[in-house]
Order: sequence, then structure tokens, then C-alpha cells
Amino acid sequence: MKTPKLLLIICIVLMLASCSKEPVKVEVKTGTVALKLLHTIDGNVFQKDVLLYQNRAGNQYQVSNIQWFLSDIELVNSDGIVVKIVKGDGVFYIDTDLHETCSVLLEDLPAGNYNAVKFTFGLNEEKNTSYRFVNPPESFMFWPDYLGGGYHYMKLNGKWMNTMGQLAPYNFHLGIGQNYYQKSSGLAHYFEFGSADSYAHCEGFNPPYTLPDVSSFVQNYFEVSQDLDFSIVSGSESSINVEMQIEKWFEGNPPYNHDDWGGSIMQQQQAQDIARINGQKVFRFSNENQ
Amino acid sequence: MLRQSWFSVLVFFTLFLFSGCTNKPDDIQPFKPTPYLIEVPFPFPTSMNIPSDNPMTEEGVKLGRYLFYDGRLSGRTHPDSLMSCGTCHIQANSFEAGINHPVFQGGFVHGLSGEYLPHVMLPLVNLVWNFSGYGWNGFLFPDNTDQRFQNIEDFVRIGVTAENELMGDTNQVKNLFQGIKGYPELFGKAFGSEVVTFDHIEKAIAQFVRSLVSTDSRFDKYLRGELQLSPSELNGYVLFTTEDGADCFHCHGGSANPLFTTHLFYNNGKDTTYSDPFDRYSVTGLESDRGKYKAPTLRNIAMTAPYMHDGRYNSLDKVIDFYSSGVQLSPLIDPLMHHAVRGGVQLTMTEKADLKAFMLSLQDDDFLSNPNFSSPVSFPDEN
Repeated sequence: MKTPKLLLIICIVLMLASCSKEPVKVEVKTGTVALKLLHTIDGNVFQKDVLLYQNRAGNQYQVSNIQWFLSDIELVNSDGIVVKIVKGDGVFYIDTDLHETCSVLLEDLPAGNYNAVKFTFGLNEEKNTSYRFVNPPESFMFWPDYLGGGYHYMKLNGKWMNTMGQLAPYNFHLGIGQNYYQKSSGLAHYFEFGSADSYAHCEGFNPPYTLPDVSSFVQNYFEVSQDLDFSIVSGSESSINVEMQIEKWFEGNPPYNHDDWGGSIMQQQQAQDIARINGQKVFRFSNENQ
Repeated sequence: MLRQSWFSVLVFFTLFLFSGCTNKPDDIQPFKPTPYLIEVPFPFPTSMNIPSDNPMTEEGVKLGRYLFYDGRLSGRTHPDSLMSCGTCHIQANSFEAGINHPVFQGGFVHGLSGEYLPHVMLPLVNLVWNFSGYGWNGFLFPDNTDQRFQNIEDFVRIGVTAENELMGDTNQVKNLFQGIKGYPELFGKAFGSEVVTFDHIEKAIAQFVRSLVSTDSRFDKYLRGELQLSPSELNGYVLFTTEDGADCFHCHGGSANPLFTTHLFYNNGKDTTYSDPFDRYSVTGLESDRGKYKAPTLRNIAMTAPYMHDGRYNSLDKVIDFYSSGVQLSPLIDPLMHHAVRGGVQLTMTEKADLKAFMLSLQDDDFLSNPNFSSPVSFPDEN
């Protein structure tokens, strides 16, 4: 009779022991943040291809479309803990002609109170490698290897009324800048080695033998950081507006003047530098719900 | 004991019968065509425009090739009425008519009725990577709510029935091919039924057209490190990809967009007034789209004259001259044409020669002579 009783006791002990060994389930409370990308001029969403606006320099101008990269988003909570967004390898393509790209859903974020948002305008050196994107529309943003490789940080296209009274096209395209040797050597110079002959930006390819008369490249991406109080509530969606205030690209001291810089600036590092400085004030964050 | 034996026999027969029901007869083979795989070299796009209801198969592409080149696609058999896709889409000319076409003088194509097409042809090359719309104005696009105008399959139907093309009747065409020896078997292998339908004709030809992939030009080989380009070609490439040079790359790609087109639509400053009823405006209804047309690929560009939607330039030199000094500024010109304020990119004679040399490096001779894409030696009923 003793054996069955002993077995019963062993079974009960084993069952209890197995219960106690179950991992304690810690419920991680998460919520969602929807980033809404707005592109405004003087506080209103810009009207495409309409000559309605005037910049600080006095240029009348219009905007056709904007394509740009937003990357490395970070949310800072009230304890100072930084939540890094890894979705899409941390890179988001925004295109005013593609409505679906102007809303970015960030899911499974820890619930709590937050007080700052950061991101990189464009792509940092690590991410800005040529041939990173093989599919459109991102691949259409490539920045030629000759000019530093990688991708445009932004294409802002439009027209302005120039001093000749012409509605002249401008391409406010931002990306890696170049410093050039003196342009006096002609074609032969394409075959000389310069200090810019680093092909880290086109890894995986045999580089062209054409070596440019570029003496060095300049990284023009920049970090955007702003205080913003918001909460992520478990199971809910919060909404944050990221507003690109287009007119602020053309402010600064002295203000950016299309008549001075002309229609294209990919090969004008001074203009790129002005854009990088002005860009610090271009973005404004707001919270719809709180 | 006897009862037990009878019971055993009954069980055995029952099991035998059931096993017979579950086994399929050996002579019925399930329809299982062989998938057709497109080799995608880096950095060509990995996303391809292949409709889910028309996956590419070896059998489908093979059938499509026959149909593409078979003059009976017009639905007629009289020698004077034969016309197929291959009548106008010449492989040696990157599947355009080309300026040297023996019938269509200057590359201007007309159909069996004698009526001319409103635009010159676009090449059939790398279309599997086009999501933005087919045709100069992009009237066929995957998201079109009018399901008759979405993809290459629809282009086949339009080509067969249009007055200015094959001027055929879809019922007549399918009935004709149903009766041609060898074709029903090919339809069976490609689509699982030997009953010829026009839907399957569209799908087979579309599969063949999607197989027309060009990834092996001299420039591709240069990027893969297999050969070196000449100084003139390399200088042309620098001009091609710089704003201060010829500034072609925003619309026509480069090393990181090896399609050498964005497949998007631009007003490139050819005109200042617009009367063409088939420009991009005719598709979108947007005023800003007047005078806009697709930027064609520059692959095999030497073979695809005449140039522009209306074929106004019969040589590449004239196209380069236009972009150098003939661009006309207008309120609707694309913002990417910023050089228009001074009439164009203002190239020197040497720069023009270099730019042309680079563009000629985009020619893929293997594609232009690939036997898998050429007219079959014989058609199924001739075997």
C-alpha cells in the first residue's frame, strides 16, 4: 500500500515543481506612433506648381515635388532612455507625389511618457552607400559616384521667377558635397588619382578608372532634434506631425537667393552648406493628441 | 471458423476497394509547368511587374515566342494580311521598327489598314521592370481602375484589334490557332488546356515580352570589371551623371539605376504649345501633364531611331544637339530641365562626341542577337 501513496506524493511534488518553474510572464506594454509628414509653406500645405510664394530673398517661387530620406529616428522617454527605430533598417523614403509614403507607422514601441524626437535628415555615412537600394523609387534617388555616391538626401524641385522675368526651374538637391581641384587640367585629370578616390561608397564594384578632379567629399546630412512631450499608450496609436517648413530652407543670413545659386546645386558645396545650416530650423514637430 | 474466414475476405475486399478509390490513375498527370526564372544581376531591380494571374513559365514563354512572330496573329492566312508583333518589333532594333525598317519608312509604323500609329514605337526591353505605365503616355498601368488597360497582356489585345495595327478579331484569332496543328498542344503545356482562348494568347505573348531582358551592355560589363571603357566613353559617363555636365541621369538613370530610365513622364522642352491628344494629360487630366511623355530607356539607343514620341529626330546627334541648345523654356517644362533658361546644357563638340560614345556603350549586342528572342526557325505546324 505504501508504494501507491509514495507515487502519488512524488507526482504532486513534481507537478507543483513544474508549475513553479514556468517563466514569469512580464507583459511588455507597447503602443504605436504614426508619423505624419507634412510639407508646408508659411504654415499651409504647399500647393503644387502654383506661383504663390515668396522667399526671404524676395524670389517668387513654386514647388512641384519633394522626395527625401528620413533615417535613424529616436524617441527619448522621460527617463532619458532612447528608443531607436529599426523598422526598414531605419530608413524611410518620403515623396510628396506618393501619398502613402507621407505616413510612417512605428509599431511595438514601449508605452510611457516621452519628451524628445530625433532623426537624421538624409542618410549618415554608414547608411549612405551606393547600390543600397536596387528598387524604385528609392533607386531613382542615387547620387552619382563621381559626386560622392550614395543617394540624394532630398530632391526639392520647383520654379522661381528669375531676374529675366522667366519662370525658371530649380533643383534644390541635397547630398554629399565635393571640393574640387582647380579646373585647369582638362580631360587628362579624370585619370589621375586624387584624395577623393575612395570607393567605400560603391563597395562590391570595381571602381571606374576615371578619377575625378574632386579633392574631397563633404557629408552634408544633419541631425534634427526637438523637445516634444507625448505619450505612448499601451494598445493605442499616437500621432506626431513632422512638418517640413519649406520656406525655411531659403532663410538664413544672408537668405538663400535662387538668382545667386541658379537652377542646380549638386556641385555647389557652398549652397549645400547653407542648406545644412538652414535645415536645422526647417522641421517642426507637433502632437495632435495631447 | 467459416464465418470468421468470410469476414476476413469481406474486410480485405473493402480495403481493396477503398484503396482503389484513393489512388489516381497513372495516366493523368497534374498540370505543372516549369517556372521561368529571370536572372537578375546586381544592381538591377529585384521587384518585377509579373501579374499574379500570369506567372512566367518555360512553356508559356516558348508559346509566346511562336505567337509573337506568327503572322497569323492577325487572324488571317492570306500572305498579304499576315502581321504579327514581330513584323514591327525588330530584335536587331531593340524590338522597335527602327529607321532602317524595310516596310515602315523612317521607322513610322502603320497597321494593316494603312493608318499610322499616333506615336513612334518604344523598344520592348526590360519591360518586366516597368511599374509606371506602358506606352509614351503610360495609359496601361497596374493600378488602373479600368481593368482593360493595366498591363502588357492588354497591349497584346490592343495590338491585335486596333485599326492601326493588326486590325484583327479576337474570336477569329483564337479559332484560327485552335485549328493550326501543334498549337493546341503548346497551349495545353503552357496553360493546362488545349482549348485556345484569347486570354491565353495575351498571357503567352506577355510572358515572352517580359523575358526580353538586357543586362549585358559594354557599360554593364565595365561595372562588373570585365572590360575597360575608352577615355571618351568614361568622360561621357561623367557628363551624363553631372548637373554641370549633360545632366541626363535624373531621368535616364546611371550605374545605380541600370534601367537607364525612370519610366516616368516629363515635359522635356521640345515645344511650348501642345496639341497631341495622346500626351500624359490624356491619361491624368492634369493641366501640368500637357506635353509630358515617358523617358525611354537609353539601352540600345543607337538602334531605336527615330527619337522622341513623334520621331522628330532621326539621329542621336540631333537629339544631343537638342538637349545642348534647342530646349525651349515654357511654364510647363519639367523642373528637372533647369538648363532650359540658356537653351540647354551647352556642350562643346568634344563633349557631344564623348556623351554619344558613352550612350553607345549601353548597347547590348548579345540581347540584339540572342537566339532565344529571335524568330523561330519554324512554327509548330511546320515541324
